[in-house]
Amino acid sequence: MSLTPLKTVGHDTHRVDAEKRVTGEATYTADLKLPRMLYARVLRSPHPHAKITKVDTSKAEALPGVKAILTRENCDVTWASGDSRNKRYLFNNPARFAGDAVAAVAAVDRHTAEDAIRLIDVQYETLPFVLDPEEALKDSAIPIHPGGNLSPTPRGEHVPDVLKRGDVAKGFQEADHVFEGTFTSPHINNAQMEPRAAMATWEGDKLTVYTSTQGIANCRTDIAKDLNMPAEKVRVVCLFMGGGFGNKNQNHDFDLMAAMLAKKAGVPVRVEFTRKEDFISVHGRWPTKSYYKVGVKSDGTLTAIQHRGFSNMGPYRKGQGDIAGIENYKCPNIERTTSMVYTNMAVSANLRGPAYPQGVFAIESIMDDVAHALKMDPIEFRLKNMTRMQGDSREYTSYGLEDCVLKGAEAFDWKKRWHAAGEGAGTVKAGVGMGIGVFPSSIARSDAIVTLNAKGQYTLYVGVTDIGTAAKTTMGMIAAEELGVDLSKIDVMSGDTATCPYSVGESGSRTTTHTGLAVVEAVRALKKQIAERGLPQGNDELRAAVSTNPNLGALARNSFVAHFAQVEVDTITGHVRVTDFLGAHDSGRIVNPLTAESQVKGGVTMGLGMALHEELRYDKHTGLPVSAGYYHARIMTHMDVPNVRVLFVETEDQYGPFGAKTLGELTIIPTVAAVGNAVFNAIGKRVRDLPITRERILEALA
Amino acid sequence: MSKISRRTFVEGAGVGIAATQLPLSGQKPGVAAALTPAAVPKTKIKFTVNGAEHEMEVEDRWTLVEVLRDHLNLTGTKIGCDRGECGACTVLLDGKSTYSCSQLAVWMEGRAIQTVEGLKKDGKLDPLQEAFIEHDGPQCGFCTSGQLMSAKALLLRNGKPTREDVRHGMAGNICRCGGYNHYSDAVLAAAERSNA
Amino acid sequence: MRAFTNINAKDFKDAASLLKQHENSMVIGGGSDSLGLVKEHLVSPDVLVNLKTIRGMDQITEKGNEVHIGGLITLDTLAHHPLINQRYKVLADAAGSVATPQIRNVGTLAGNLSQRPWCWYYRNGFPCFKNGGKQCFSITGENNFHAIFGGGPSFIVHPSDTAPALVALAAKFRIVGPGGERTVAAEDFFVLPKVNPAKENVLAKDEILAEVHLPAASKNARSLYHKELDREAWTHAVVSAALVLEMNGQSCKSAHVVLGGVAPIPWRVKKVEAMLAGQKIDEQVAGRAAEVALEGAQPLARNKYKIPLMKAILKRNLVALANA
Repeated sequence: MSLTPLKTVGHDTHRVDAEKRVTGEATYTADLKLPRMLYARVLRSPHPHAKITKVDTSKAEALPGVKAILTRENCDVTWASGDSRNKRYLFNNPARFAGDAVAAVAAVDRHTAEDAIRLIDVQYETLPFVLDPEEALKDSAIPIHPGGNLSPTPRGEHVPDVLKRGDVAKGFQEADHVFEGTFTSPHINNAQMEPRAAMATWEGDKLTVYTSTQGIANCRTDIAKDLNMPAEKVRVVCLFMGGGFGNKNQNHDFDLMAAMLAKKAGVPVRVEFTRKEDFISVHGRWPTKSYYKVGVKSDGTLTAIQHRGFSNMGPYRKGQGDIAGIENYKCPNIERTTSMVYTNMAVSANLRGPAYPQGVFAIESIMDDVAHALKMDPIEFRLKNMTRMQGDSREYTSYGLEDCVLKGAEAFDWKKRWHAAGEGAGTVKAGVGMGIGVFPSSIARSDAIVTLNAKGQYTLYVGVTDIGTAAKTTMGMIAAEELGVDLSKIDVMSGDTATCPYSVGESGSRTTTHTGLAVVEAVRALKKQIAERGLPQGNDELRAAVSTNPNLGALARNSFVAHFAQVEVDTITGHVRVTDFLGAHDSGRIVNPLTAESQVKGGVTMGLGMALHEELRYDKHTGLPVSAGYYHARIMTHMDVPNVRVLFVETEDQYGPFGAKTLGELTIIPTVAAVGNAVFNAIGKRVRDLPITRERILEALA
Repeated sequence: MSKISRRTFVEGAGVGIAATQLPLSGQKPGVAAALTPAAVPKTKIKFTVNGAEHEMEVEDRWTLVEVLRDHLNLTGTKIGCDRGECGACTVLLDGKSTYSCSQLAVWMEGRAIQTVEGLKKDGKLDPLQEAFIEHDGPQCGFCTSGQLMSAKALLLRNGKPTREDVRHGMAGNICRCGGYNHYSDAVLAAAERSNA
Repeated sequence: MRAFTNINAKDFKDAASLLKQHENSMVIGGGSDSLGLVKEHLVSPDVLVNLKTIRGMDQITEKGNEVHIGGLITLDTLAHHPLINQRYKVLADAAGSVATPQIRNVGTLAGNLSQRPWCWYYRNGFPCFKNGGKQCFSITGENNFHAIFGGGPSFIVHPSDTAPALVALAAKFRIVGPGGERTVAAEDFFVLPKVNPAKENVLAKDEILAEVHLPAASKNARSLYHKELDREAWTHAVVSAALVLEMNGQSCKSAHVVLGGVAPIPWRVKKVEAMLAGQKIDEQVAGRAAEVALEGAQPLARNKYKIPLMKAILKRNLVALANA
């Protein structure tokens, strides 16, 4: 489909702040300093579960240069977005995971702060701990919160989350064949390059927090709520930030610690986390276990899908815990039961497509098994069974999944490369695999402000922070298109709640759509003003501030994706090399193909790491993590990445700004599945546990 | 449940539960307590950064990266891990790329350091910087300074690299946003421009 | 970091006597690894003895029949050195395979050889043998990357790439102490845990590895180092093989075979060396040699994959090297 070309939107555009980023002039949070600023570090529990019986800070207080210390004794601030079901304090007792904060110290420099936390004497009474969700659900397991380890629904019921359609029992009866499989995925860290930092400063009763966040507006309201302050007295600033992929949403305990330390010390305080703390004490993708049962007719038509899942949430319900995948398929009878379970592992919450790559790995693997057993080409199987309407009942506003699959397969040369699983001579075997994905591209409230001065320069105010997605540029391009002017005529201002209006920020792949629509509306309002009042003169400025609240009515709006991977597996060493990869995406109209391509390549890179390497490993006896940090986590390097090919399948969708739909998280959703299926195609054996290490491949082949 | 202090272990299943250093708790028994700031060993050093000479007193324990960022206000070089595991802090030390988090400032006596701030010449961007913009290398931008300095070191050594050479030469720089393909494109383009 | 004093050494003798003089001190070469240990509080020195200020100990010189390599040579210089590439390729390969360019630019040969283990229990401060404790957590724990030979009571694998290369080259190490010097065969430099689980080598607290001596390379010798990694760059060897073959026409006259990533010391397999002597190394011979090399391996619960892996790597590389 080719959409009507536009002037600015749809053309490769360099990032408006690219020069700042390549010259070192971009100021990230830890680059900012205020006079008399103190440095703060956090002391953490070395035990996975322990009552704290005594905290003696006297030696630390006596160290010259130490200006303020917080512990539970003098700070009972709670962090609401840190747990949606239980009260989560900044300093919890008992400590519920190795890495749970016990104290924070602000001192004249970071070395003194580090020396000081090591002088704090803490007495612990260790408690039994549990790391595995199914173990945690047993009666013998220690309850981590009152009510037990099955985290309750928002209504407080300790029952699993259930999604049903039709009658799976009937569906299995109607099936000619029934297939089962169990799939697991580990805890994976966001590992964004910028370790978190927050700098807080008070002026009277007004608080300013400079922090690395994905959404300044929500961060601000959360901080205000947690500190019992009116939101107008809180300002959040984030001009540049170095990634988050979901772990810098809402507010964080480090924002609150910085604020409380600054209050106590009477001077600005910067809290810095080390990389290890970032790995262990923030959060990562929830580990999952999926039991799948699939019923199918001999001609390949699905009759029933049953999924029983367990999500390891760690000890605080910071994340949702759902397991995606079932939305990929059309099937009259489905049942998805998910238990979100507390354990004493690191906390689980959002990482790029929080419920998705691990869930889609599971379902795309079992469906691939089904196709294999029925001797069907995986593409044929998807075309026969993939979703055509959301939940088989709601029409999509635009639907490009079939094009993604067909055009992607063609560009990938699927027909030539696909063969029966395990076929092929030699010890190094090549194989191809694919996976599909569906992700909501919602529309919802957002704000934007655009002004015009007498010199003809426009200024756009949006509450984004540009986490690497090029949001500033995208917003600017949307404004430029609607205004009919060159992008250079628009200054994009972002990252400061003092001047920028509400945006949900960059999470849930909502910025382009939510905030983009607001930008369009704001520009239209401005154009109306120009028509009514004429262009501004002298010192006058026209200003249009808009708050949208759009509605999809009965329709479902989603973006679609198909990923294709080719791998070579050395069957003697278990080594996997990804030799080719193609991502085919329907995200409506692509606003900026240049940066959108970067998104896809980036998501795929992350997905390849998740498929082959990454895992936060725990020692089972002590309940302590052993592989935190870039080295042990085996994050992808330059040498690991193949040349990733990108194909945008543009569909026409009237609900987004110029028809744009979401992209960001789709880029990782079927990646892991594609690799897993490619490995199966290569060696004829399936690895059902992530990551697909050489160990697991050699075990599968043995 | 047994009462334990930070320094003793509870035996269970033949394996002790560690009252470990992870992550940053407690002190090793027998090790002297922290020094007061006044007693912390310091040294006077003289070194060059981006062609400008600096003379200053540093604590022996200060790393090069924190001196650059906190004391010389050159915040272009970033700290990503402080352990030499990510490359965000890469600078040139006498023309060779190195992790500035893994060098002590006191070792910089008489040495010449180049940071990202030193790439611009007379207000003009380095071909690498231009290529990075052109090919959309930086996404969140946090790894960018380190990538640039590694690329610079690579091109200083080998002005006509192949794509494999580039990937090898920059293997010590992580990019979690996954900008690798575009970074490689950019470095090759910059090399070509410089050779044209 | 905890405060310490940096003292610049004038030469190795000076460095050794500084180590002796200051009770709680350690040497620091390139700094990449040692600073990490200090930052993690795995070591808490009061004094760092800086070796980088020692001049002239980073050169490669021919001394009679031998080639002498100053311990402070950087891995990058070593990897690119024409003489090393021509005559001792296994060492050039090994040095070039370490970590990343940034680390090779400052990391020294001596530092790489005396590197502490990368066992994640050790590095995370578990109170194990290497951290002054009395147990090894890998035995019943996450031991995917631990030893299949020579383990007990500690099961670390030696992390150095240059170590197996130098054992395969029958190198000698010159060690400088406050009282004098000694020379030790590379093979005797490394220490099994059953001898001393707290250390990996014979260096006393106040001794420094100063220089590496290579015997003359025979004209007919060929060598290589193969490192198997778990991502494409920047990891320690999962397994590795350092091979030196002295050829006699198409046959192998004598062989040195040293395995890395499988034991707490570079693991020389003399049985295999004997088997290969006088043989034309084809797939069959190499296959048998690989089987013999891994005889007696004692895997832990999660590292038995190292056995077929090491066999495959050894077999492939023997054939490749013999028939190059």
